[in-house]
Amino acid sequence: MAAATEVEAVDFDSDDDDLMDEDGAIEPSPAPAPRLRSTIAGGGGGADDAPRKTKGRGFREDPNSSSAPRDSRLAGVGRSGFDALASDGGPGPVRSIEGWIVLVTGVHEEAQEEDLHNIFGGFGQVKNLHLNLDRRTGFVKGYALIEYENFEEAQVAIKESDGTDLLSQIISVDWAFSNGPVKRRNTRKRSPRPNRSRSPPRRRY
Amino acid sequence: MATVGGATNGACGEDEFYLRYYVGHKGKFGHEFLEFEFRPDGKLRYANNSNYKNDTMIRKEVFVSPSILREARRIIQDSDIMKEDDSNWPEPDRVGRQELEIVMGNEHISFTTSKIGSLVDVQTSNDPEGLRIFYYLVQDLKCFVFSLINLHFKIKPIQS
Repeated sequence: MAAATEVEAVDFDSDDDDLMDEDGAIEPSPAPAPRLRSTIAGGGGGADDAPRKTKGRGFREDPNSSSAPRDSRLAGVGRSGFDALASDGGPGPVRSIEGWIVLVTGVHEEAQEEDLHNIFGGFGQVKNLHLNLDRRTGFVKGYALIEYENFEEAQVAIKESDGTDLLSQIISVDWAFSNGPVKRRNTRKRSPRPNRSRSPPRRRY
Repeated sequence: MATVGGATNGACGEDEFYLRYYVGHKGKFGHEFLEFEFRPDGKLRYANNSNYKNDTMIRKEVFVSPSILREARRIIQDSDIMKEDDSNWPEPDRVGRQELEIVMGNEHISFTTSKIGSLVDVQTSNDPEGLRIFYYLVQDLKCFVFSLINLHFKIKPIQS
Protein backbone atom coordinates (compact mmCIF):
# COMPACT_ATOMS: atom_id res chain seq x y z
CA MET A 1 0.00 0.00 0.00
CA ALA A 2 2.72 2.40 0.89
CA ALA A 3 4.54 1.77 -2.33
CA ALA A 4 1.40 2.21 -4.32
CA THR A 5 0.63 5.47 -2.62
CA GLU A 6 4.00 6.85 -3.47
CA VAL A 7 3.78 5.95 -7.09
CA GLU A 8 0.36 7.38 -7.28
CA ALA A 9 1.39 10.56 -5.55
CA VAL A 10 4.17 11.12 -8.03
CA ASP A 11 1.76 10.55 -10.81
CA PHE A 12 -0.82 13.01 -9.72
CA ASP A 13 1.54 15.65 -8.52
CA SER A 14 3.45 15.79 -11.72
CA ASP A 15 0.24 16.43 -13.52
CA ASP A 16 -0.67 19.16 -11.12
CA ASP A 17 2.61 20.80 -11.78
CA ASP A 18 1.99 20.76 -15.48
CA LEU A 19 -1.11 22.73 -14.93
CA MET A 20 0.55 25.27 -12.74
CA ASP A 21 2.85 26.14 -15.60
CA GLU A 22 1.82 28.19 -18.54
CA ASP A 23 -0.75 26.38 -20.57
CA GLY A 24 1.03 24.06 -22.82
CA ALA A 25 3.93 26.44 -23.26
CA ILE A 26 6.31 24.07 -21.64
CA GLU A 27 6.32 20.55 -22.82
CA PRO A 28 5.87 18.54 -19.68
CA SER A 29 8.46 15.94 -19.10
CA PRO A 30 6.94 12.60 -19.85
CA ALA A 31 5.22 11.76 -16.63
CA PRO A 32 4.30 8.19 -16.01
CA ALA A 33 0.88 7.57 -17.39
CA PRO A 34 -1.82 7.12 -14.80
CA ARG A 35 -2.20 3.50 -15.57
CA LEU A 36 -4.13 2.70 -12.51
CA ARG A 37 -4.05 -0.98 -12.93
CA SER A 38 -0.32 -0.98 -12.52
CA THR A 39 0.26 1.88 -10.18
CA ILE A 40 -2.37 1.18 -7.62
CA ALA A 41 -3.18 -2.45 -8.04
CA GLY A 42 -0.03 -3.84 -9.52
CA GLY A 43 2.30 -2.01 -7.22
CA GLY A 44 0.54 -3.07 -4.09
CA GLY A 45 2.15 -6.48 -4.02
CA GLY A 46 4.27 -5.76 -1.01
CA ALA A 47 1.55 -4.37 1.15
CA ASP A 48 0.79 -6.15 4.34
CA ASP A 49 -2.84 -5.31 4.48
CA ALA A 50 -5.36 -7.19 2.43
CA PRO A 51 -4.30 -7.30 -1.18
CA ARG A 52 -6.60 -5.49 -3.52
CA LYS A 53 -8.89 -7.75 -5.44
CA THR A 54 -8.73 -7.14 -9.13
CA LYS A 55 -11.16 -8.11 -11.83
CA GLY A 56 -11.62 -7.52 -15.50
CA ARG A 57 -10.02 -7.62 -18.92
CA GLY A 58 -8.12 -4.49 -18.11
CA PHE A 59 -5.77 -6.57 -15.99
CA ARG A 60 -5.30 -9.28 -18.53
CA GLU A 61 -4.49 -7.18 -21.56
CA ASP A 62 -0.82 -6.52 -22.22
CA PRO A 63 -0.08 -4.98 -18.84
CA ASN A 64 3.27 -3.60 -19.89
CA SER A 65 2.50 -2.33 -23.30
CA SER A 66 2.28 1.38 -23.65
CA SER A 67 0.40 1.03 -26.87
CA ALA A 68 -2.91 0.70 -25.12
CA PRO A 69 -4.92 3.70 -26.19
CA ARG A 70 -5.76 4.69 -22.66
CA ASP A 71 -2.26 5.86 -21.89
CA SER A 72 -2.28 8.90 -24.05
CA ARG A 73 -5.59 10.43 -23.31
CA LEU A 74 -6.08 11.81 -19.86
CA ALA A 75 -2.42 11.67 -19.00
CA GLY A 76 -1.70 14.87 -20.85
CA VAL A 77 1.72 13.84 -21.98
CA GLY A 78 2.96 15.88 -24.87
CA ARG A 79 -0.19 17.86 -25.29
CA SER A 80 -1.54 21.03 -23.95
CA GLY A 81 -3.22 20.69 -20.58
CA PHE A 82 -6.76 20.66 -19.50
CA ASP A 83 -8.83 23.80 -19.29
CA ALA A 84 -9.68 24.83 -15.79
CA LEU A 85 -11.23 27.90 -14.27
CA ALA A 86 -9.13 30.02 -11.99
CA SER A 87 -8.66 28.76 -8.48
CA ASP A 88 -6.22 29.41 -5.71
CA GLY A 89 -5.63 25.75 -4.98
CA GLY A 90 -6.69 26.16 -1.41
CA PRO A 91 -9.55 24.54 0.38
CA GLY A 92 -13.08 25.81 0.09
CA PRO A 93 -15.48 26.19 -2.79
CA VAL A 94 -14.65 27.49 -6.21
CA ARG A 95 -16.80 29.59 -8.46
CA SER A 96 -18.15 28.04 -11.63
CA ILE A 97 -18.33 30.04 -14.80
CA GLU A 98 -21.71 31.60 -14.16
CA GLY A 99 -22.24 31.11 -10.48
CA TRP A 100 -21.92 28.82 -7.51
CA ILE A 101 -23.00 25.21 -7.66
CA VAL A 102 -24.54 23.39 -4.73
CA LEU A 103 -25.00 19.63 -4.46
CA VAL A 104 -28.03 18.17 -2.74
CA THR A 105 -27.93 14.47 -1.88
CA GLY A 106 -30.42 12.16 -0.27
CA VAL A 107 -33.12 13.50 -2.55
CA HIS A 108 -36.26 11.39 -2.48
CA GLU A 109 -36.84 9.40 -5.66
CA GLU A 110 -40.22 10.97 -6.15
CA ALA A 111 -39.11 14.54 -5.58
CA GLN A 112 -40.08 17.03 -8.25
CA GLU A 113 -38.18 20.02 -9.49
CA GLU A 114 -40.83 22.13 -7.91
CA ASP A 115 -40.06 20.71 -4.47
CA LEU A 116 -36.46 21.78 -4.85
CA HIS A 117 -37.40 25.19 -6.19
CA ASN A 118 -39.66 25.66 -3.20
CA ILE A 119 -36.85 25.04 -0.78
CA PHE A 120 -33.87 26.47 -2.58
CA GLY A 121 -35.61 29.40 -4.17
CA GLY A 122 -35.90 30.78 -0.66
CA PHE A 123 -32.17 31.49 -0.49
CA GLY A 124 -31.83 33.26 -3.80
CA GLN A 125 -32.77 32.85 -7.40
CA VAL A 126 -32.08 29.32 -8.61
CA LYS A 127 -30.44 29.93 -11.96
CA ASN A 128 -30.12 26.29 -12.87
CA LEU A 129 -31.39 23.05 -11.48
CA HIS A 130 -30.39 19.57 -12.55
CA LEU A 131 -32.51 16.83 -11.05
CA ASN A 132 -31.24 13.78 -12.85
CA LEU A 133 -33.13 10.57 -13.17
CA ASP A 134 -32.14 6.98 -12.72
CA ARG A 135 -31.90 5.64 -16.24
CA ARG A 136 -33.34 2.30 -15.34
CA THR A 137 -36.21 3.24 -13.05
CA GLY A 138 -36.99 6.72 -14.28
CA PHE A 139 -37.15 7.95 -10.70
CA VAL A 140 -34.91 10.66 -9.31
CA LYS A 141 -31.38 9.35 -8.96
CA GLY A 142 -30.95 10.88 -5.53
CA TYR A 143 -29.06 14.09 -6.09
CA ALA A 144 -29.66 17.56 -7.43
CA LEU A 145 -27.31 20.30 -8.59
CA ILE A 146 -28.34 23.87 -8.08
CA GLU A 147 -26.78 27.05 -9.36
CA TYR A 148 -26.88 30.39 -7.58
CA GLU A 149 -25.46 33.57 -8.91
CA ASN A 150 -23.88 34.71 -5.66
CA PHE A 151 -21.63 33.05 -3.19
CA GLU A 152 -23.70 34.30 -0.27
CA GLU A 153 -26.91 32.75 -1.59
CA ALA A 154 -25.24 29.39 -2.01
CA GLN A 155 -23.60 29.61 1.37
CA VAL A 156 -26.83 30.37 3.14
CA ALA A 157 -28.60 27.60 1.23
CA ILE A 158 -26.02 25.11 2.41
CA LYS A 159 -26.10 26.33 5.95
CA GLU A 160 -29.85 26.45 6.24
CA SER A 161 -30.88 23.33 4.37
CA ASP A 162 -28.15 20.81 5.09
CA GLY A 163 -29.62 18.11 7.31
CA THR A 164 -33.23 19.22 6.86
CA ASP A 165 -35.77 16.96 5.30
CA LEU A 166 -37.49 16.82 1.99
CA LEU A 167 -40.39 14.38 1.57
CA SER A 168 -39.37 12.88 4.91
CA GLN A 169 -35.84 12.15 3.78
CA ILE A 170 -32.87 13.97 5.25
CA ILE A 171 -30.96 15.85 2.59
CA SER A 172 -27.31 16.81 2.65
CA VAL A 173 -26.30 20.05 1.03
CA ASP A 174 -22.76 21.06 0.19
CA TRP A 175 -20.61 22.79 -2.38
CA ALA A 176 -20.11 20.84 -5.58
CA PHE A 177 -16.71 22.20 -6.59
CA SER A 178 -13.59 22.85 -4.70
CA ASN A 179 -10.57 25.09 -5.08
CA GLY A 180 -8.07 22.35 -4.58
CA PRO A 181 -7.52 18.72 -3.80
CA VAL A 182 -9.16 16.81 -1.03
CA LYS A 183 -6.83 16.47 1.90
CA ARG A 184 -6.01 12.85 2.16
CA ARG A 185 -5.53 12.76 5.85
CA ASN A 186 -5.67 9.04 6.18
CA THR A 187 -4.10 7.66 3.06
CA ARG A 188 -1.24 6.17 4.98
CA LYS A 189 -3.23 5.15 7.97
CA ARG A 190 -3.46 1.60 6.82
CA SER A 191 0.20 1.31 6.06
CA PRO A 192 1.91 -0.73 8.70
CA ARG A 193 5.22 0.82 7.86
CA PRO A 194 6.20 4.06 9.52
CA ASN A 195 6.04 6.99 7.23
CA ARG A 196 9.70 7.85 7.11
CA SER A 197 10.37 5.85 4.04
CA ARG A 198 12.73 6.49 1.20
CA SER A 199 10.52 8.92 -0.53
CA PRO A 200 10.35 12.54 0.49
CA PRO A 201 7.12 13.83 1.96
CA ARG A 202 4.62 15.13 -0.47
CA ARG A 203 4.70 18.81 -1.02
CA ARG A 204 2.00 20.31 -3.10
CA TYR A 205 2.49 24.00 -3.21
CA MET B 1 -22.76 -15.69 -5.93
CA ALA B 2 -19.61 -15.97 -3.88
CA THR B 3 -18.78 -13.16 -1.54
CA VAL B 4 -16.88 -11.33 -4.15
CA GLY B 5 -16.19 -8.27 -2.17
CA GLY B 6 -15.71 -10.03 1.12
CA ALA B 7 -16.29 -7.07 3.32
CA THR B 8 -17.33 -4.43 0.89
CA ASN B 9 -15.91 -1.86 3.18
CA GLY B 10 -16.56 0.89 0.70
CA ALA B 11 -19.92 1.53 2.23
CA CYS B 12 -18.47 3.26 5.20
CA GLY B 13 -16.40 5.44 3.32
CA GLU B 14 -13.61 7.68 2.79
CA ASP B 15 -11.08 5.13 1.67
CA GLU B 16 -9.49 4.99 -1.72
CA PHE B 17 -11.67 5.86 -4.65
CA TYR B 18 -10.93 6.15 -8.33
CA LEU B 19 -13.25 6.05 -11.31
CA ARG B 20 -12.53 6.18 -15.01
CA TYR B 21 -14.82 5.63 -17.95
CA TYR B 22 -13.87 5.62 -21.60
CA VAL B 23 -15.92 5.08 -24.71
CA GLY B 24 -14.54 5.50 -28.17
CA HIS B 25 -13.60 4.17 -31.54
CA LYS B 26 -11.22 4.88 -34.35
CA GLY B 27 -12.78 5.74 -37.65
CA LYS B 28 -12.75 8.22 -40.47
CA PHE B 29 -12.88 11.12 -38.06
CA GLY B 30 -9.87 9.86 -36.18
CA HIS B 31 -9.96 8.65 -32.64
CA GLU B 32 -13.31 9.78 -31.36
CA PHE B 33 -13.81 9.27 -27.69
CA LEU B 34 -15.22 10.48 -24.46
CA GLU B 35 -13.41 9.88 -21.23
CA PHE B 36 -13.70 11.06 -17.68
CA GLU B 37 -12.14 10.21 -14.39
CA PHE B 38 -12.51 11.06 -10.73
CA ARG B 39 -9.22 10.92 -8.91
CA PRO B 40 -8.81 10.22 -5.21
CA ASP B 41 -7.90 13.83 -4.51
CA GLY B 42 -11.12 15.05 -6.07
CA LYS B 43 -9.87 16.02 -9.49
CA LEU B 44 -12.47 15.42 -12.15
CA ARG B 45 -11.08 15.25 -15.66
CA TYR B 46 -13.12 15.16 -18.78
CA ALA B 47 -11.99 14.76 -22.37
CA ASN B 48 -14.04 14.58 -25.51
CA ASN B 49 -12.44 14.27 -28.89
CA SER B 50 -13.73 14.19 -32.39
CA ASN B 51 -12.19 15.35 -35.61
CA TYR B 52 -15.58 15.62 -37.20
CA LYS B 53 -15.73 18.94 -39.06
CA ASN B 54 -12.34 19.75 -37.59
CA ASP B 55 -13.52 19.68 -34.05
CA THR B 56 -10.75 19.77 -31.56
CA MET B 57 -10.38 18.00 -28.31
CA ILE B 58 -12.23 19.32 -25.33
CA ARG B 59 -10.34 18.82 -22.11
CA LYS B 60 -11.66 20.12 -18.85
CA GLU B 61 -10.76 19.59 -15.27
CA VAL B 62 -12.00 20.79 -11.95
CA PHE B 63 -11.73 19.71 -8.35
CA VAL B 64 -14.95 18.40 -6.90
CA SER B 65 -15.88 18.40 -3.25
CA PRO B 66 -15.77 15.28 -1.09
CA SER B 67 -19.56 15.28 -1.22
CA ILE B 68 -19.46 14.79 -4.97
CA LEU B 69 -17.04 11.91 -4.62
CA ARG B 70 -19.30 10.39 -2.01
CA GLU B 71 -22.26 10.61 -4.34
CA ALA B 72 -20.29 8.98 -7.15
CA ARG B 73 -19.38 6.18 -4.77
CA ARG B 74 -22.96 5.81 -3.72
CA ILE B 75 -24.12 5.47 -7.31
CA ILE B 76 -21.51 2.81 -7.91
CA GLN B 77 -22.24 1.02 -4.67
CA ASP B 78 -25.95 0.92 -5.33
CA SER B 79 -25.39 -0.53 -8.77
CA ASP B 80 -23.49 -3.56 -7.43
CA ILE B 81 -21.13 -3.34 -10.39
CA MET B 82 -18.22 -4.44 -8.21
CA LYS B 83 -19.76 -7.90 -8.02
CA GLU B 84 -19.84 -8.29 -11.79
CA ASP B 85 -17.20 -9.59 -14.13
CA ASP B 86 -16.61 -8.74 -17.78
CA SER B 87 -15.45 -12.20 -18.81
CA ASN B 88 -18.68 -12.97 -20.66
CA TRP B 89 -19.26 -9.54 -22.06
CA PRO B 90 -18.80 -8.78 -25.75
CA GLU B 91 -15.22 -8.07 -26.70
CA PRO B 92 -14.44 -4.59 -28.00
CA ASP B 93 -14.62 -4.49 -31.77
CA ARG B 94 -14.34 -2.17 -34.73
CA VAL B 95 -17.49 -0.38 -33.72
CA GLY B 96 -15.90 0.65 -30.48
CA ARG B 97 -14.79 0.03 -26.99
CA GLN B 98 -15.84 0.93 -23.49
CA GLU B 99 -13.70 0.76 -20.40
CA LEU B 100 -14.80 1.18 -16.84
CA GLU B 101 -12.20 1.23 -14.13
CA ILE B 102 -13.07 1.63 -10.48
CA VAL B 103 -11.02 1.41 -7.35
CA MET B 104 -13.06 1.29 -4.21
CA GLY B 105 -11.82 0.05 -0.89
CA ASN B 106 -9.68 -2.95 -1.67
CA GLU B 107 -11.42 -3.82 -4.88
CA HIS B 108 -10.26 -2.75 -8.29
CA ILE B 109 -12.18 -3.51 -11.46
CA SER B 110 -11.10 -2.72 -14.97
CA PHE B 111 -13.84 -3.82 -17.34
CA THR B 112 -13.66 -3.64 -21.09
CA THR B 113 -16.38 -4.34 -23.58
CA SER B 114 -17.82 -3.24 -26.90
CA LYS B 115 -20.16 -0.32 -27.33
CA ILE B 116 -23.71 -1.14 -26.39
CA GLY B 117 -26.21 0.24 -28.82
CA SER B 118 -29.35 -0.61 -26.94
CA LEU B 119 -30.88 -3.03 -24.50
CA VAL B 120 -31.21 -5.53 -27.33
CA ASP B 121 -27.43 -5.89 -27.28
CA VAL B 122 -27.67 -6.47 -23.56
CA GLN B 123 -30.39 -9.12 -23.82
CA THR B 124 -28.62 -11.08 -26.51
CA SER B 125 -25.27 -11.11 -24.74
CA ASN B 126 -23.93 -13.99 -22.69
CA ASP B 127 -24.32 -12.09 -19.45
CA PRO B 128 -27.45 -9.98 -19.75
CA GLU B 129 -27.75 -9.38 -16.03
CA GLY B 130 -24.22 -8.14 -15.57
CA LEU B 131 -24.19 -6.16 -18.76
CA ARG B 132 -27.46 -4.49 -17.88
CA ILE B 133 -25.95 -3.25 -14.65
CA PHE B 134 -23.01 -1.89 -16.57
CA TYR B 135 -25.26 -0.34 -19.20
CA TYR B 136 -27.35 1.60 -16.71
CA LEU B 137 -24.50 2.51 -14.42
CA VAL B 138 -22.58 4.03 -17.30
CA GLN B 139 -25.56 6.12 -18.25
CA ASP B 140 -26.06 7.30 -14.69
CA LEU B 141 -22.39 8.19 -14.32
CA LYS B 142 -22.32 10.04 -17.63
CA CYS B 143 -25.40 11.92 -16.63
CA PHE B 144 -23.76 12.96 -13.36
CA VAL B 145 -20.52 14.02 -14.99
CA PHE B 146 -22.24 15.85 -17.84
CA SER B 147 -24.24 17.87 -15.34
CA LEU B 148 -21.11 18.76 -13.42
CA ILE B 149 -19.14 19.74 -16.50
CA ASN B 150 -22.06 21.57 -17.98
CA LEU B 151 -22.76 23.59 -14.86
CA HIS B 152 -19.15 24.41 -14.16
CA PHE B 153 -18.00 25.29 -17.68
CA LYS B 154 -21.26 25.84 -19.54
CA ILE B 155 -20.42 23.52 -22.33
CA LYS B 156 -22.73 20.89 -23.60
CA PRO B 157 -20.92 17.59 -23.72
CA ILE B 158 -21.59 15.62 -26.86
CA GLN B 159 -22.17 11.91 -26.57
CA SER B 160 -19.64 10.03 -28.61
